[in-house]
Amino acid sequence: MKLLKAFKLACFGLWSNRFRVLSAMMGVVIGMFAVIVLTAIAIGVKDTLMKQMGSLGAEQILVLPGRVLDTANGQKDLLSGLTSVPSTLTYDDAKAVEGVPNVKSVTPQLETITIAKYDDKKVQSSLVGTTDQYSRIQHAELLEGRFFTKEEQAAKAKVIVLGNNIHDALLGKQENPVENGEGSSETGQPKPLWKRVLDKLLGESASAEEKSLVGKTVTIKEESYEVIGVLAPNATLGSSTDNNIVLPIETALAMSDMKNLTKMIVEASSLDMVDQVDGEIFKAIKANHSEIDFSVVKQDQMLGALGKVTSILQMMLFGITVTALLISGTGIMNVMVMSVRERTREIGIRKALGASTFEVMAQFFFETLLLCLIGGAVGIGLGYAFAEAWNSNIEIFSLVLPMWAVKLALYTSFGIGSLFGIYPALKAARMNPSKALRFE
Amino acid sequence: MIELRDVRKHFRTGSGKTEILRGVNLTVEQGEYVAIMGKSGSGKSTMLNLLGTLDVVDSGAYELAGKKVHKMRKGRRARLRNEEIGFVFQHFQLIANLSVYQNVLLPLTYGRKRLRRKRSRVLELLDEMGILDKKNQKPDRLSGGEKQRVAIARALVNEPSVILADEPTGSLDEETTESILSLFDRVHKKGATIIVITHDMEVAERADRILRLQNGVLV
Repeated sequence: MKLLKAFKLACFGLWSNRFRVLSAMMGVVIGMFAVIVLTAIAIGVKDTLMKQMGSLGAEQILVLPGRVLDTANGQKDLLSGLTSVPSTLTYDDAKAVEGVPNVKSVTPQLETITIAKYDDKKVQSSLVGTTDQYSRIQHAELLEGRFFTKEEQAAKAKVIVLGNNIHDALLGKQENPVENGEGSSETGQPKPLWKRVLDKLLGESASAEEKSLVGKTVTIKEESYEVIGVLAPNATLGSSTDNNIVLPIETALAMSDMKNLTKMIVEASSLDMVDQVDGEIFKAIKANHSEIDFSVVKQDQMLGALGKVTSILQMMLFGITVTALLISGTGIMNVMVMSVRERTREIGIRKALGASTFEVMAQFFFETLLLCLIGGAVGIGLGYAFAEAWNSNIEIFSLVLPMWAVKLALYTSFGIGSLFGIYPALKAARMNPSKALRFE
Repeated sequence: MIELRDVRKHFRTGSGKTEILRGVNLTVEQGEYVAIMGKSGSGKSTMLNLLGTLDVVDSGAYELAGKKVHKMRKGRRARLRNEEIGFVFQHFQLIANLSVYQNVLLPLTYGRKRLRRKRSRVLELLDEMGILDKKNQKPDRLSGGEKQRVAIARALVNEPSVILADEPTGSLDEETTESILSLFDRVHKKGATIIVITHDMEVAERADRILRLQNGVLV
């Protein structure tokens, strides 16, 4: 009964001091907003990375240049990374893997940095030589045109498929072509985030002339290539195709500087065969190499390593969040201590009129608690709105806000209110009424 | 009835301790109107704090309505204060962000009495004090006299057995002083016990009995 009365008085106290309360609440609002947004970022990044890795398919196996070190328990230590050695993987290795039983497909990739020219535009891009399976394996959808065929690959056809950014840059839709000046180092980087958002809001570069390069000829290393397709924007973390120019691997190998594979994606015929195929791939490649200077990595190993990285990211964000909450909690406590001081005479009056120590303490405790809960709810709401706005405008990765994070934030608000409300409440409760009444 | 027996109170100061009350004896019968006078620093306010259970005696005995106040813990003193004592202060001591109505209601909020008619009780008192039309106003919109009427209404709302008034007209002009004293007379006639602490002879003369506090004792 006394608690209910104190709760009512606290509600009334907050309402009576609503302007001061609003300013005090800002700390919690910002703190909770930070918690929600940082949590949404951490989970969003993790989910996106996991999804991207997972989208490769659990039956896929990566063959990478360099050797992944084994840990003491025999696991591959992907976190320590691959040893930095030049790639010795060749197209012949890929062909050897194709011959391994239960291998469904092999998608070798070799990459180099090159400059593509169209009219007076020059764009630095990543030239990827691969097979006709590339678009399926990389989930690279076509915006227009088509992908090259097996026949074009075998015939070393001079056809290319442009990544979205490269296509736009060659058309002058983006401000990142390499200008005519010698030695210019500008690259075909993706548009900065703010620019993408701005473009989205204003309607993509209204001034740019709308046209396509499909069917046109682009020059790479003094050779002409026909553009047969343009990839849809693929703003994924780490493995975006936006800045790539994709061409048949046979065509790429004909270029003097493209010999060694940067990676090979092997698809097993079924999930059950992955472990067996994994070993067979190793043997097949090993037969072509004098030493083990390559690694065969399964998806679960990649996901495990990624999980560790994202866990570190989450721990870091957790640390930042705890710091933010401690700061906002301390801020609230200071404001409430100030409030208690300012309301000393009021406390004296309440005590003179019969308020017990417990009632005064409960009132001020509930005031802090309510302030934190309301501030927390507002912060969570703002964080949710921010995540929604982000998700509808920005594609690079989605912010994910699970219900447990919202509940955790609310419980945290409750915890902060409880923890940091004790001291001001005790301070108020312990006041001597006769002294409090004389307070100027 | 109020009874103080050999009550002593001292305060610690920088140089040691100062004895304010040095064996005060006082008996106030139910329904009596008593004025306690004294110079500044004579211990009048200390006396009021002790009578109002806002402070505790160092030694001696204090009984109010048959209850041994000097043996009570904080919680019981707070309850006694709420049920048996009504305060009227010189500076009104109204809570600034509460309305007149809410200020008067406050003692009922902390009380254990289950008054069914809390609202009508408050309105009745405001009407009696002639400030019913001000019930929704905040204290800063009221005159000194009106503020003191609110304070008196608040002191009476819980139907206490004693009203303690500390310089109740100290902040008021002559005309308002008279109206407030008339109000005390009316309350007294209804049977309330009133103890007024004042240094104003005009105020003290309205009481049945005048006591003087000199050198820490009542004479």
